[in-house]
Amino acid sequence: MHSYAIWVPIVLALLAYVGIVFNLGPGLWIQEALVMGLITGWMVGDVKLGLTIGATLTLMSLGMWTYGGATIPDFMTGAILGTAIGALGGGETAGLAVAIPASILMTQLDVLGRAVTTIFIHAADKYAERGDLRGITWMHLLGQLPWGLTRAIPVFLAVWLGAGPIQSVIHSMPQWFMNGMHVTGLMLPALGFALLLNQLPIRKHWPFLVIGFILFAYLKVSILGIALAALAASFLYIRLKGSEADA
Amino acid sequence: MPNSETSSLSGTVTKRDVRSAMWRHLITLQWSWNYERMQALGYLWSMLPILKKVYTDRNDLIQAMKRHLQFYNTNPQIGSPPIFGATVALESEKLGDAVDSLKVGLMGPFAGIGDTIQGVLIRPMIAVFAASLALAGSWIGSALMFLMGLVWCILMVPLFYLGYRRGIGFVDEVVGGGLIDRITEIATIFGVMVVGGFVPSIMTNLKTPLSFHKTVELAGKATTKTISLQDTLDKIFPSLFPVLVVALAYWLMKRFKLSPVWVLLILVVLAFITSAIGLF
Repeated sequence: MHSYAIWVPIVLALLAYVGIVFNLGPGLWIQEALVMGLITGWMVGDVKLGLTIGATLTLMSLGMWTYGGATIPDFMTGAILGTAIGALGGGETAGLAVAIPASILMTQLDVLGRAVTTIFIHAADKYAERGDLRGITWMHLLGQLPWGLTRAIPVFLAVWLGAGPIQSVIHSMPQWFMNGMHVTGLMLPALGFALLLNQLPIRKHWPFLVIGFILFAYLKVSILGIALAALAASFLYIRLKGSEADA
Repeated sequence: MPNSETSSLSGTVTKRDVRSAMWRHLITLQWSWNYERMQALGYLWSMLPILKKVYTDRNDLIQAMKRHLQFYNTNPQIGSPPIFGATVALESEKLGDAVDSLKVGLMGPFAGIGDTIQGVLIRPMIAVFAASLALAGSWIGSALMFLMGLVWCILMVPLFYLGYRRGIGFVDEVVGGGLIDRITEIATIFGVMVVGGFVPSIMTNLKTPLSFHKTVELAGKATTKTISLQDTLDKIFPSLFPVLVVALAYWLMKRFKLSPVWVLLILVVLAFITSAIGLF
């Protein structure tokens, strides 16, 4: 199989549109790579692939958040494209080879979408001046178009037109490249962890980091066990700190 | 609490108007998000049901709408609902000036609090847990992620009414009482410790296949034993490679202020080099 029936790119494009707009409001997390990976994987008949790609992208994204409207890599589009293309035969390696560059390239379109929407608030200024409430309503509701289309159109084109060509490129990839992509997938969670650690006060609380590591790496405690220990440790810390202040 | 019978001249704001404003804000605040004034248009549209009732004079209405078209941006799910709730209460009382200063004064701090709670403390923890489930082949991980998003959406309703009922007073209560600080510290320590366990568990497959041969004398016979490098390392320092890679990425960001994309590129190059020389 080298390409999809026409309805697949159409539905995936709609999925991307709905994903980004519903993430803007009410703030549903359907744009999350894990959710999009599952839905796309289910659609193209490879749920496991979708979950793997979604999980790898999610781990890359750990410390990332659109602070104050900052642009971050578009892992939603990455997950959809990576899963859809990977399911054509290349599997996880091919999927990641598509998903990671796609996530990064899509930042350009995120910037475009955020910029184009400015047109709508300028039009709203004019309607406000005239006291035209209906005009304001339309400008606000249509403001979703640049957001949704900057995701939907690339997804549609890449899956519809690109599946075949991308697939043949992937098939001609040498073994060293496939190996490299595989190790890349194993290493990338480090990016997410590093981002997260940069935001947490590690200098102050590093002993807790070490304890968590020892619990898993040396003592083989499960993650749930570590979470319970962490809960107890954090409350103890606050309690002891409080009594110190009282004394 | 706004008194709905303050003035017979201006229309009365009903519970239905308040509810309508809340839903507009909850669902669409950011639909027209743009670089210039960010959430401003969404805020205005959400406020329209109130403004329409309060400002019966056309020119007053136009002035009020222009006020709300000024720059506004904060955390949409934790920060904005209480601010919006409080300003709905104030607008219903025709206290427009207070509304503007409240918005400008609170959007910054609330953006900081909301983004930290969601982006630094809660999402990463849920995400790692969900991703580890997904890597094990379970869709529960995806469902967990979706549910977490749903929780924030649902929380927007009580947060709105908190702001609406208490007006401006709630701000001092929440920010001044030190409660936020304590919750943040508990969540931070929890997060730091769990991350310590997550690093070796998530990256557990980053292992070297290298092994070395050793010739030993066994009962007078020379035999060659193959010793796996990874097994030897695990006895001394388990998960050494994951720790080294995370430490490298952390150091690149902290020391050289590299952006995530640069660190990503460096990791990709590192992955290709180490796989080419056969380390991984």
